[in-house]
Amino acid sequence: MKARLIAVATILLYLGGVASAHRLDEYLQATILSVEKDRVQASMRLIPGVAVSSSVIASIDSNGDGVISEAEQHAYAERVLGDLSLTMDGNRLRPKIVSVTFAHIEQMREGLGEIHIEFTADLPSGGPNRRLVLENHHQNQNAAYLVNCLVPSDHDIRIIGQTRNQQQSFYQLDYVQAGVPGGPKPLNWWTSVRGWTSTVGFASLFRLGLRHIGEGTDHLLFLLALLLPAPLIVAGSRWAGCVGVHRSLLRILKVVTAFTIGHSITLALAALGFVHVPSRPIEVLIAVSILVSAIHALRPLFPGKEAGIAAFFGLIHGLAFAATLSELGLGRWERVAGILAFNLGIETMQLIVVAVTLPSLVLMSRTHAYPFLRIGGALFAGFASVGWIAERLLGAHSPGDVVVNSVAHHAVWIAGVLFLTSLGCWWQRNTPDREATSTSPSIERAQTRALERLAYLEEPLVVAAPKLPPI
Amino acid sequence: MNDQENRMNVFSMRMIRGVGVWAAIWLSMTAATAQTATAKMVSAANTFLSTLSEKQRQSVLYSFGDEQQRARWSNLPTGFVPRGGISLKEMTPAQRSAAMALVASALSPKGLEKVEEIMEGDEVLKKNEANNAGRGNNGPPPGGGGPPPGNGANRPPRGGGLSGDMFGKDLYYISILGKPSEKDPWMLQFGGHHLALNITIAGERGVLTPTLTGAQPALYTIGGKTVRPLGQESDKALALLNALDDSERKQAILSYQLADLVLGPGQDGKTIVPEGLKASAMNDLQRAMLLDVIAEWAGIIHESAATARMAELKADINETWFSWSGPTTAAPGKNITAYYRIQGPHLVIEYAPQTLGGDPGLHVHTMYRDPTNDYGRGLVKQ
Repeated sequence: MKARLIAVATILLYLGGVASAHRLDEYLQATILSVEKDRVQASMRLIPGVAVSSSVIASIDSNGDGVISEAEQHAYAERVLGDLSLTMDGNRLRPKIVSVTFAHIEQMREGLGEIHIEFTADLPSGGPNRRLVLENHHQNQNAAYLVNCLVPSDHDIRIIGQTRNQQQSFYQLDYVQAGVPGGPKPLNWWTSVRGWTSTVGFASLFRLGLRHIGEGTDHLLFLLALLLPAPLIVAGSRWAGCVGVHRSLLRILKVVTAFTIGHSITLALAALGFVHVPSRPIEVLIAVSILVSAIHALRPLFPGKEAGIAAFFGLIHGLAFAATLSELGLGRWERVAGILAFNLGIETMQLIVVAVTLPSLVLMSRTHAYPFLRIGGALFAGFASVGWIAERLLGAHSPGDVVVNSVAHHAVWIAGVLFLTSLGCWWQRNTPDREATSTSPSIERAQTRALERLAYLEEPLVVAAPKLPPI
Repeated sequence: MNDQENRMNVFSMRMIRGVGVWAAIWLSMTAATAQTATAKMVSAANTFLSTLSEKQRQSVLYSFGDEQQRARWSNLPTGFVPRGGISLKEMTPAQRSAAMALVASALSPKGLEKVEEIMEGDEVLKKNEANNAGRGNNGPPPGGGGPPPGNGANRPPRGGGLSGDMFGKDLYYISILGKPSEKDPWMLQFGGHHLALNITIAGERGVLTPTLTGAQPALYTIGGKTVRPLGQESDKALALLNALDDSERKQAILSYQLADLVLGPGQDGKTIVPEGLKASAMNDLQRAMLLDVIAEWAGIIHESAATARMAELKADINETWFSWSGPTTAAPGKNITAYYRIQGPHLVIEYAPQTLGGDPGLHVHTMYRDPTNDYGRGLVKQ
């Protein structure tokens, strides 16, 4: 061992000039894969560095005659292939050598010689979602691996992702193949649509849309803040009594639809590349939109025009959705299907959220507890949006983000508690002794003070209520 | 009244004469600058060829269709991978200056400076290696007991010793494919260790891809001045990485190591699947910074070709990807030790520090390609 180290050190010193020009103690193994419908082709370049070349050459030149014969070349290439593990969807493939070329033995000694192996492997038929894994264990102790994949010339093949370990000895390629064998050939429009949608990953984009809204606290907060005053009517410059179940529902429907129309327009325009807006200002504007709807929930800024505002800010939110979609690097046609799938995912999650919160809103709006929810919710949204504005504009980290995220994490629980509370309030409102407590002037005053502290300028609904016609 | 009129006349005559003189100067200047970049290159090429002997001319000139010569370039020293054409070393001073004038006519001033710094770096390397070899020959290397048993030391010695013909600023070769022409396509190659300029000219179009630049040492001092031939490539890319926010960085930084160029010499015409952060997700400032990094390569060629190329790459910018692998910091005034790649529909740039020789910040290879138009194949049938 020591003798070998000394030998290497001596070579390095003698080859001082040479060593600085090329690979030293690494064995570079660079593979470029090319995926076709029914086979995978690979081009492998192997370059042993000067400090490892003699041991590599010794292993190639098995009879030690100083010449690498064709038989020795072929045997070495087979050995390299034997050290590879190539699988498709978990099934081991059998790579076959296409060609082997060796640099001159002198060049290899100097760490310049390149061994070039081309191989190919037939692919078994399978579903549309395919996974190719290449593991290289050849000369693992001193190898520097590189693995890449060519952009497929077959347009039916779309690369989804590449995964490697740090050393690149493990490489995984996920791709989708259209018009795959295995399933029945498309016979009617429905099966061909289904085939096409599975190709572009319709389901995964739908899920992405779901997740984007589910986890995108800012989009939800905007919508919820805008819905808070939906069941209310305006008295002067304040929110007052409730408008009734039918009109509440109609308003909520209008706001949600308007938001959908707004963001669908810009999502389509941006995802198809007709408009392009940098993401930072969009993110800031989204935070501003939450602030605006939070203020509106405190004091009516644009009563009766909620749908218009929702549509307007929807345009901005759509641009942010498009940014998410464009990160996926889809082609133009795939994008059309992608927008559809992604948008459907967004709508579905939006509807789920509205469906969960709507009963609570409508129930509670008919009780005296509603101002607490409305003002509390508005302050929370306002607090979050100001934090986001600061963060997105100045790059400052706001502690609010932690609070907002933990609230978002427990959204299901909060929605449940909210619903139970609203049920409780509703039940209490309908019990006879409520009249007495609610009209008790001392309690009313206490409530008023509490709400004034909460909302600063805001006069609570209960004070204004007596001026209004009965519900 | 009359007097005043006279004065007015004199004044206007003077004025006309003055304007006329300036117009004449301006016209002659524009006439000089109106000579197109291609015309300048053709005349510089013809001047260079006229200084050569018949034998040298034959060595320099190849047919435009010579695919072997077209691909005969490398990052390696010319002693290992012989280039075509003739080297500056084989030229007389007059021939050498004509050759460098031809190279200069093909490049922007900045591009020429970069090329000269790469060549000067090889001269520094030659001196360093000569010192090392000198020490080595003065006695047995420390710790080495007798001649090494390995094959390496027993190989036949090269020309003038290990570093004699390996490095140096005169070991750069020039060759011309086709006949220099303002109309028909032709090609100028200039390169050696760590340099391969492949410039295809077709009418007014000039194509620099594929071009390899490299440097070792990538930081040296000459005449009291510190030089980093590829310092801008390092600094601008690091500035861009630092301008990304956390989520963008996460996308841009690859989770695996990259030991070398993926699409280096011999890997013509390949397009790999892009990775990293797509510029469509960047803001305007970040995109401008990315274009500024790209300009370090796209701006090597003469201005009119560079302007056209930058316009093309700017149009592609939203489809362009930026990826990074390795350390995300560098000491001030030092080079990054990370690999990065910029890839778009008409572009591949790779920056690959080399681990050998100790500090990877001192040895770098870079590659500049257009997979759709390497050697001007998109413009000209070859």
